[in-house]
Amino acid sequence: MNRLLSRGTIILVFIRLGLLQASWNFQRLQNLGVLYALGPALRRLFEGEDLKAAQQRHLEYFNSHPYMAPAILGAALAIEETQAAGGTSVVKAAEFKKMTIAPFAAMGDALFWGGIRPLAACTALFFAFRESLWAPLVFLLLFNIPHLLFTIVGFWLGYRRKHHILEFIAQKRLPDVAVRAKEMMVVLLGALCSLLVFTLLSGLQKSPLWAGLSLFFVFAAGWLFRKGASALCLLLIGAFLCILSGYLL
Amino acid sequence: MSIVLVRVDSRLIHGQVLEAWVPHTSARCIVVMSDDLMSSPMEKMIMEASVPSSIKVFIGGVTEMVSRFKSGEFDKLRTLVLFANSQDVLSAYRDGFIFNKLNLGNMHAGSGKVPCSCTIYLDPTDIENLNELVAGGVEVGSRCVPTDTQRSYKKMIPKGGV
Amino acid sequence: MTLTLSTYFIGSCIAVLAGLDRMAAMQTMFSRPIVVAPLTGFVLGNPMVGLQIGALLELLWLGRLPVGASIPPDDTQIAVGATALCLSVTPAPTLSYQLLCLLVVLPLGKIGEFFERGARHLNLRLSTRAEALCDQGEGGRAERQHLIGLFHFALASLCTFSFVYWGGSFLLGILAPWLLSGVSGAASWLYLLFPLVGAGCILASINVQRAPTLFLASFVSVSLLLWLL
Repeated sequence: MNRLLSRGTIILVFIRLGLLQASWNFQRLQNLGVLYALGPALRRLFEGEDLKAAQQRHLEYFNSHPYMAPAILGAALAIEETQAAGGTSVVKAAEFKKMTIAPFAAMGDALFWGGIRPLAACTALFFAFRESLWAPLVFLLLFNIPHLLFTIVGFWLGYRRKHHILEFIAQKRLPDVAVRAKEMMVVLLGALCSLLVFTLLSGLQKSPLWAGLSLFFVFAAGWLFRKGASALCLLLIGAFLCILSGYLL
Repeated sequence: MSIVLVRVDSRLIHGQVLEAWVPHTSARCIVVMSDDLMSSPMEKMIMEASVPSSIKVFIGGVTEMVSRFKSGEFDKLRTLVLFANSQDVLSAYRDGFIFNKLNLGNMHAGSGKVPCSCTIYLDPTDIENLNELVAGGVEVGSRCVPTDTQRSYKKMIPKGGV
Repeated sequence: MTLTLSTYFIGSCIAVLAGLDRMAAMQTMFSRPIVVAPLTGFVLGNPMVGLQIGALLELLWLGRLPVGASIPPDDTQIAVGATALCLSVTPAPTLSYQLLCLLVVLPLGKIGEFFERGARHLNLRLSTRAEALCDQGEGGRAERQHLIGLFHFALASLCTFSFVYWGGSFLLGILAPWLLSGVSGAASWLYLLFPLVGAGCILASINVQRAPTLFLASFVSVSLLLWLL
């Protein structure tokens, strides 16, 4: 197959993908971002009425996870390129985008927002409580290595494999990877909480049995959260009670 | 039957459902009823792959899934039911799929659709469909994620109608 | 007063950059409290204060996800605001003072959701305008509409930060004489409140069935280990 896009254009599209969410709106979400990113490539592939039609179809509703979108748009770009070269494709670019945005968003949310970000943060917090300024760097590294890997490799694989990227991603069972990351995070969080409680208790010279009480507090907070209290609200009530008991006792 | 949530969401399975509603309702099973989805096996495949293996997921046409519900297949599972639009909900309801609460999550904008909240866009047909459900005793409300406050359907419709 | 103003100016520069990173540009997550608070502290001369504040905030909202159209609390502006506020009063604040700043700024940060919603509504106009431009065959100009969105998000961040900072310093002026002694009395407990509430919320909202068991197992084993040693 003859490639119509130069390497420079493809790299420009990838760089522009970094600004995907810059004009996020409630009605069509990242649509304008998609046009902005694919724009340079579309202008090379089509002209006249074809170009107008291409720009219009990439201004449709689009909402995916910012780190998973490069894979989708890489594939969409390759599909457009095939069409411009006169070839045929199993799915059209617009259809492909429509079917992939929600499942890819689900995987990205679970993996990055639900799994890797809290895991990286939890690890960094150990450094923070040792008063080490490595904490922010540890967080940035742990988070951004998978982030960059997914965007760069995802974009490249999407562009090379077109719609076959779907089978590839489906095989990787990303939601299960996310569950593993979350499990690890919960274990680290448990250790961190117990460490903080113990440091505090030894500082105040209280009995270690107080640790049990703090455990009770964690589950009570969780129960109230399920009943609809927000984290902020729970914190402020807790703070009020702490200060009040400080005055009374 | 143990249906924990019935939701209308144009995006069907996505982050809000998996990360917020599934843990909130402790659902172990997701049922997607959509006729449109049946024509695209690729879409069905990738949608199934976006759910962790600890949660069962069933995707099928409205009539098919309603009859599976009636046969008692999902009785023992805490089930979350998803629809893509109000038309599918109504046809399931008419087929005898019984539920008493309906959650409106995301209903996308389109031609003739009027914004009723940040994420809900309705047209006159939607309103007719939902009114029929309300008349049948279904409590309709809108909430994107469990931490949002519930908004009742009646209060969402603009004063002058749609 | 000059100190407060220059702190505000430096703080707002960081606030705008981090506000853009949060959603609009790159999303390298340097906008998370654990990074942006020490950064603010570093620029203002005391990174340790930022680290402390950032760590507490990070723990409180570990489990909140920015999924879809729901807007999470603006922890970025709260982190920058609390750190800047703290360091505008004194270059080496005590733990009690840091906690007081946090408690004052936290509820004020709620306003961030309002400004962010405003920015997202303004962006709708860009999308509509781009569509019209596309229909006229002016695709290039339509693309450039997109960049105006950056300006909207930057403005929202600046508004939130200004509100948090000036509102915070006003409230702090009133509340500090009343509350500071109470806060210092309960400082260690207040400090512990952040991880405990954060852990409770994350356990209640995570979609892993075994989460409470894993948390308990790890909490108890580390506690026993620390007790033995």
